[in-house]
Amino acid sequence: MNLSKSQTNTLDISSPYISRLARIERVARVTEKERLFKIAIEDGKTLGHLPGQFIMLSIPGFGEAPISISSPPDKGNRFEICVRAVGNLTNALHNLTKRDRLWIRGPYGKGFPVQDIIGKDLLFIAGGIGLVPMRSLIKTVLNERSSYGRMNLFYGVKSPDEILFKDELLQWEKAGNINIQITTDKPHPEWKGHTGVVTTLLPPLKIDETKTAAIVVGPPVMYKYVILSLGDKRIAGHDIYLSLERRMKCGLGKCGHCQINSIYVCQEGPVFRLSDIRYLREAI
Amino acid sequence: MKYRFLLKKGIAALIAGLLKEFKVYGPVKKDGFPMYGNITAPGDMNLLHSPTHISPKQYLFPQRETLLRFSSGECPAVAPVVEAEEQVLFGVHPCDIHAIKLLDRVFAYGTADVNYLKRREKTIIIGIDCIPDKYCFCKGVNTMTVESGFDLFLHNIGTGFLVESGTQKGKKLLLKYTKTRKANKGEVKKLSQIQNQKKEMFVTSINADASTLPLIYSGSYNSPVWERIGSICYGCGSCNLVCPTCYCFDVRDDIKLNLKEGERYRVWDGCMLEDFAKVAGGHNFRKTRGERLRHRFNRKFQYQVDKFGGLFCVGCGRCSRTCLVNINIAEVTNELIEESNKHP
Repeated sequence: MNLSKSQTNTLDISSPYISRLARIERVARVTEKERLFKIAIEDGKTLGHLPGQFIMLSIPGFGEAPISISSPPDKGNRFEICVRAVGNLTNALHNLTKRDRLWIRGPYGKGFPVQDIIGKDLLFIAGGIGLVPMRSLIKTVLNERSSYGRMNLFYGVKSPDEILFKDELLQWEKAGNINIQITTDKPHPEWKGHTGVVTTLLPPLKIDETKTAAIVVGPPVMYKYVILSLGDKRIAGHDIYLSLERRMKCGLGKCGHCQINSIYVCQEGPVFRLSDIRYLREAI
Repeated sequence: MKYRFLLKKGIAALIAGLLKEFKVYGPVKKDGFPMYGNITAPGDMNLLHSPTHISPKQYLFPQRETLLRFSSGECPAVAPVVEAEEQVLFGVHPCDIHAIKLLDRVFAYGTADVNYLKRREKTIIIGIDCIPDKYCFCKGVNTMTVESGFDLFLHNIGTGFLVESGTQKGKKLLLKYTKTRKANKGEVKKLSQIQNQKKEMFVTSINADASTLPLIYSGSYNSPVWERIGSICYGCGSCNLVCPTCYCFDVRDDIKLNLKEGERYRVWDGCMLEDFAKVAGGHNFRKTRGERLRHRFNRKFQYQVDKFGGLFCVGCGRCSRTCLVNINIAEVTNELIEESNKHP
């Protein structure tokens, strides 16, 4: 590499770690563990994200973490995130309220290819908080409902009290726009619905495999089994989209934490076509 | 003729001259170990021919580096921090120059890393030849000599140094602070003799052509080697620290006692450490030490090669030299080569 050439430009580059100030506009309890935050960026400009992308969110003193965006793309300066309190930063975030400020940078990564699934039947399969990034895509496609075929959402949760966005799910279904089935891993005294892991919802479903795209987001353990079930449905690998979760520290393809073989999930992902990663060791 | 001849005593004048303009870092002996350290006088420098235990990457990619300063309160603010001063890395061996060239690619790739690149831009590199010890295997990975990536390069030929200029900047500094003359034919011949002798000095070798190593590693994913070395590895991450091409980092915050100001900094991290690939939900994508070793070795011989071209192992032998349980990267590689010869 000719370093002297690239060096002449470095004086003009700004730090990729610089963040934008944002303010919490609303906090809503989603479940016992998750809160939904509506956030406005102070500079008034749009986040400019696509469904499936993520931001690096920080609260000075508590650090920075990758957080998926849960709202559909918006021309305004607002967006939503839904966060479970599991670590230092996310616990600190849960202590913030309306008007508190935080910092964001991004959006980062490759999102769901909204253009490529136009005209298709959509099969959404979510596990647990996998519904958070998926909500951005579902809301996006529901806004353009006539551009897509049939829609099914199969959603697996550990127990009924972990169901996210209950009201919205009802609303979507009521509008007749999407068929939704929820299952809990184990029987629960208050749960009258389906019980069993999310793949147990699939067998009765009739699909046209030539025009179906499957979108899968869930915990790491879920993918292997869902992929097998989708194989039974004869959905081709290039019609199956997965969003992979990995540890990330920079979002810029440098820090190494999200690396799977030669791939940096923060750059080439987090959304992948199954056909691109089926033989990538350690991916699934 | 690309070489200039510099008398041995001319080195002191060169160092003294550089000290007038730059911070200078070079090889020193610290606690009995060959290291890189701050040079304040020509006499501080110990132009060792043996490899330093820790690579000079810390001067381009410090172990702890501030990225942002922030303040909270009524008017919260963040300001980027890019700290880079003019510096000279003196006495850098060919393997480490190769390593720096790889880091240059890494940090310029995609989103440019301004912290590294600015530091790099302000760094003058003066290379020097070395003599391999029992861990070195640069010959096996084609890094025994170096054609570029330095401003000046010094070849010791006994009577003095043959100096090679890699950049105009280097040439000017040489002219400014020392007296050199054109090297004569005999001196150049002497250099090639020394280089040929060096080739015979290696105790450690790689038993396959370097260009075949990515393929050999890619075929060794299920080798029993990983579990075996994983069972003795402590997962201490020393290999990550001493490696000249390990560049993974963590990003953390520090806040002052007034709880109003603080900084975001990056600090070296290591893929051998247990939590490196663990996500918030608790899932660890490389749970066992064997899996982590396989990842680290593959990063050197396959994964990064696909992305950046060039092996990311430069044969310095530092990870083997520092390993508490004597896991030797060259021996492991040779074992994988042997396996692949048996089951091609």
